Amino acid sequence: MEQKLRQEAKALLEQNKVDWIIGFEPGSLKFTTTPLITRDKSDAEHLVINPFIFNNLADFLTGIKGRVGIVAKGCDSRSIVGLIQDNKVVREDVVILAVPCPGLIDLAKIERLAGKDRDELDDITRDGDKIIVTVDGQKKEFTTTQTLFDHCLACELPTPQEYDILLGEPRPPAPELEVSGQNIAELKETLPAKRWEFWQNEFSRCIRCYACRNACPACFCQRCFVEETEPQWVMPMPRWQDNLIFQIVRNIHVSGRCTDCGECERVCPVNIPLRSLTREMYGIVDELFHFKSGMDKEALPLMAHYEQEEAEDLFR
Amino acid sequence: MANKKVSKKDIAKLLEQWSQQFAVFAPSKESGVAEILKWDGKDTSFLDWYRNTVIPPKASLLPQMEEMFRFQKGDDGYNIETPPKDENKRLIFGIRPCDARAMSILDMTFENAYEDPYYLAKRKNTVLVGLGCTNPCESCFCTSMGVSPAESIDVDLMLIDIGGDFLIEEVTGKGKELIAKTSGLQEATKEDEAKTKQAKEMVYNKVTRKLDTKGIKDRLLASFNDEEFWQKVAAKCISCGICTLLCPTCYCFDINDELVKQEGARFRSWDSCGFPNYTKMPMENPRQEKWRRVRQKVCHKYGFYPMTFDIIACTGCGRCIRLCPVNWDITQVIESVPDKTEAKK
Repeated sequence: MEQKLRQEAKALLEQNKVDWIIGFEPGSLKFTTTPLITRDKSDAEHLVINPFIFNNLADFLTGIKGRVGIVAKGCDSRSIVGLIQDNKVVREDVVILAVPCPGLIDLAKIERLAGKDRDELDDITRDGDKIIVTVDGQKKEFTTTQTLFDHCLACELPTPQEYDILLGEPRPPAPELEVSGQNIAELKETLPAKRWEFWQNEFSRCIRCYACRNACPACFCQRCFVEETEPQWVMPMPRWQDNLIFQIVRNIHVSGRCTDCGECERVCPVNIPLRSLTREMYGIVDELFHFKSGMDKEALPLMAHYEQEEAEDLFR
Repeated sequence: MANKKVSKKDIAKLLEQWSQQFAVFAPSKESGVAEILKWDGKDTSFLDWYRNTVIPPKASLLPQMEEMFRFQKGDDGYNIETPPKDENKRLIFGIRPCDARAMSILDMTFENAYEDPYYLAKRKNTVLVGLGCTNPCESCFCTSMGVSPAESIDVDLMLIDIGGDFLIEEVTGKGKELIAKTSGLQEATKEDEAKTKQAKEMVYNKVTRKLDTKGIKDRLLASFNDEEFWQKVAAKCISCGICTLLCPTCYCFDINDELVKQEGARFRSWDSCGFPNYTKMPMENPRQEKWRRVRQKVCHKYGFYPMTFDIIACTGCGRCIRLCPVNWDITQVIESVPDKTEAKK
């Protein structure tokens, strides 16, 4: 798959079919990759595909000028489709290099299972449905259910539906909804007062770095409400109340756009379980509007259009 | 006089004793993220898990959010009410040498360049008790930045792990004074001193990430206008605030007034030069494009700070590397700065 990607990427640049390639190259720390954004065809040989290609690269599309060849997992491809629906990206300007994705390894889960920090592990490899972690020379075996990101366990589209070049055998979806939604289910079972207390605690830690927003392809606003000063919707000080308001409004703004790629939660430096909010919103959108973001590029964006007959008294 | 030592199992007792005199702060995960918090009076489990905190200890002296003063509209303009200075005596236990150096670097701005009363009130009343590293992270590069993972001149007391005990080095007069008043410590033997020396060397060699900063200030200044280079460096940055807000030497803050009806307060809170809205207050951010902001961050630490204070404002703690959502790595960036200096020509 990696070889094919490198060849295709190189060819796209050589034949002047794209101006840029966006993919992943090896990162500078163990078990990491880093986005590679390049116009240089000799960089194509650095491209990698492995269980650590975490970033949703669609995030870079709105900030780049020219035609782009972009490496996309299923979730990333849904974000690209979402951007097309919202007129943020022109379909003809992107060449989607589709990666059938078997799920990404959640290093935080591995750390809990192995009882060591990620940089203390010798190796993490995948063999079919087994994840083998080598710690102090000893091999420990885990299942994918134990070690993949929750959002990967919930994945409905491992192989992009919308693509130009398919890089491997398509993978059928095999969601494990119960496991992936366990945190959310537990949270929903608690009494509202307790749940309120829970979120109050979680959001007390927020440092307002906005990594959740900036890593999110659906958060494409050039001016975010949180930074508006006239009027000032929320204070920039990191108080839990303001932090919570920021996140709730962000959630509402990305409803119908969020593809459950899980990046907001992964990038949070202070471990706020943000996916518990976004995934719940994703479910609500599906339930109320029978809409799944980024599945159909012809579909009208859920929150950005309305029909005459939908008009309520409020709008008349 | 010989150094003292304390048994690891007596750390709780030691902290209890110090709690009589100080508000003691220590590493904790209680909040859900590793940070230095007020010690709860019993928990020393951090001795097992603590490598470094996510939230840098600067937060104890330059809090994420701080009230500067309150105001009330009176008949004759506003009445200003300044909060009492926070002069509680505090002791930060367990600060790492990289973060302790960062405190010294912050002092240059908040004490030497101009006097920041909020920071200084806390700083003057704080005792820093350093804890030498035994297990540096893959992202750590302190030894390239003039910091040794188990030695420090930036703390008052330095504890070094020598197996069952910590050897205690009295670094400043403040530290010496505290030890003179502390009971229950043992005298370190010659053997302990030998173990200490060995421990320091061993952990020094465990820091494998290296960065050559020779001539970096001049290289950066010579490449300041190399837009193509900075564009390339900035391409994958997502302009979040992680690397700056969580940097132990970054001190930028934003000031906001909160006014409800006739009264309110002025607050300051951490800000980041990586944010598009940074310094928007007077007009617009002069660094609209991302590459200009990334350049500012790098040049401030490795170019402008050395110009002003003759020290690089980076201590190699590695937080910006390990916490970055896109693995933007300052060591790679610094190494890739082209050499366009006169010397090279």
